[in-house]
Amino acid sequence: MTALLRVVELAMAAALLAAAAALAYAATFDPEASGSVEQRAHQVAATLKCPVCHDLSAADSPAPVAQQMRAKIASELRAGRTPDQVRADFVTAYGDWILLSPPQRGLNLLPWLAPGLLGLAGLALVAVSIRRWSQVPVVTAAVGPPLDEADRRLIEKAMAAVGNEIE
Amino acid sequence: MGWRRWTAIAGVAAGVGLTVALLGAGLGHDPNALPDTMVGKPAPEFGLGTIDGGQHVQLASLRSQVVILNFWASWCVACRTEEGVLQDTYQRYRDRGVTVLGITFQDSATNAQAYAADRGITWPLLDDPQSGTALAYGVTGLPETYFIAPDGKVAYKQIGPVTQELVAREVKRLQPEAVR
Repeated sequence: MTALLRVVELAMAAALLAAAAALAYAATFDPEASGSVEQRAHQVAATLKCPVCHDLSAADSPAPVAQQMRAKIASELRAGRTPDQVRADFVTAYGDWILLSPPQRGLNLLPWLAPGLLGLAGLALVAVSIRRWSQVPVVTAAVGPPLDEADRRLIEKAMAAVGNEIE
Repeated sequence: MGWRRWTAIAGVAAGVGLTVALLGAGLGHDPNALPDTMVGKPAPEFGLGTIDGGQHVQLASLRSQVVILNFWASWCVACRTEEGVLQDTYQRYRDRGVTVLGITFQDSATNAQAYAADRGITWPLLDDPQSGTALAYGVTGLPETYFIAPDGKVAYKQIGPVTQELVAREVKRLQPEAVR
């Protein structure tokens, strides 16, 4: 029985390791760094807009200029330039708008950061609300000025009168 | 009111203010306007043949001149409205340090040649078969004209047809002796 448990534990550990390795590979895999020049050119073109189209990448557009962009990208990659250098050339000529994903700097950071910040603010609000709701209200007796002798006698007299009425 | 209420009011006011500011900034910006990213940068070099194959023009050989680089096509209707201006500019300034060059965009040399002959265009027209030069300059539509200063930098970019006033202004700015 113990041996069986040991085997199950080992199998689970192996499965976890394999999953972690697969995730690490997926996170670090760069499709622009592998495959044929055409495949890499396609990957780069997929990050650039076709300049004469509406919201179509240079990889997806059938426009002649998009085809020429793909040819230019392939030619640059063949010449030994990196995908980032090729992209930088297009940004120099056209500006940041040629990139399908805006660069993560300046005001462009807002759409990336806002959801996280709003989520954190929401969590903080929920935490504060829960804390407030879970607190038991403490009722404290009202504290007034000390009674003087005359007041005390009046109270005793009134209480005695009430006691007599009850009897 | 307690500090908590004031904090809440300040938070809401800040959120509303930020939203209004962002909306205001967005309303003041034309989403179709394209930035002139090339202006102030060195003009990309090119060496292109004329559409009749008779000459080869190298931009580097035109340093010290103002180069008016016009991207056009025989099918471009808007380009026709500026032909008179470009023809006049070419005739007037060709010996005064100002060069007019046309570069075809998404057009065949045969069509461009037939069109130029039909319209009597005499300024040099260059063939850019794979649009490599157009892509290097960031051309998005036609016509587009780049004014390249004698130092080889892009001084001005015009999207749409050029006018006589625009050309005169830029030539005067970039090559004052040409207008004397």
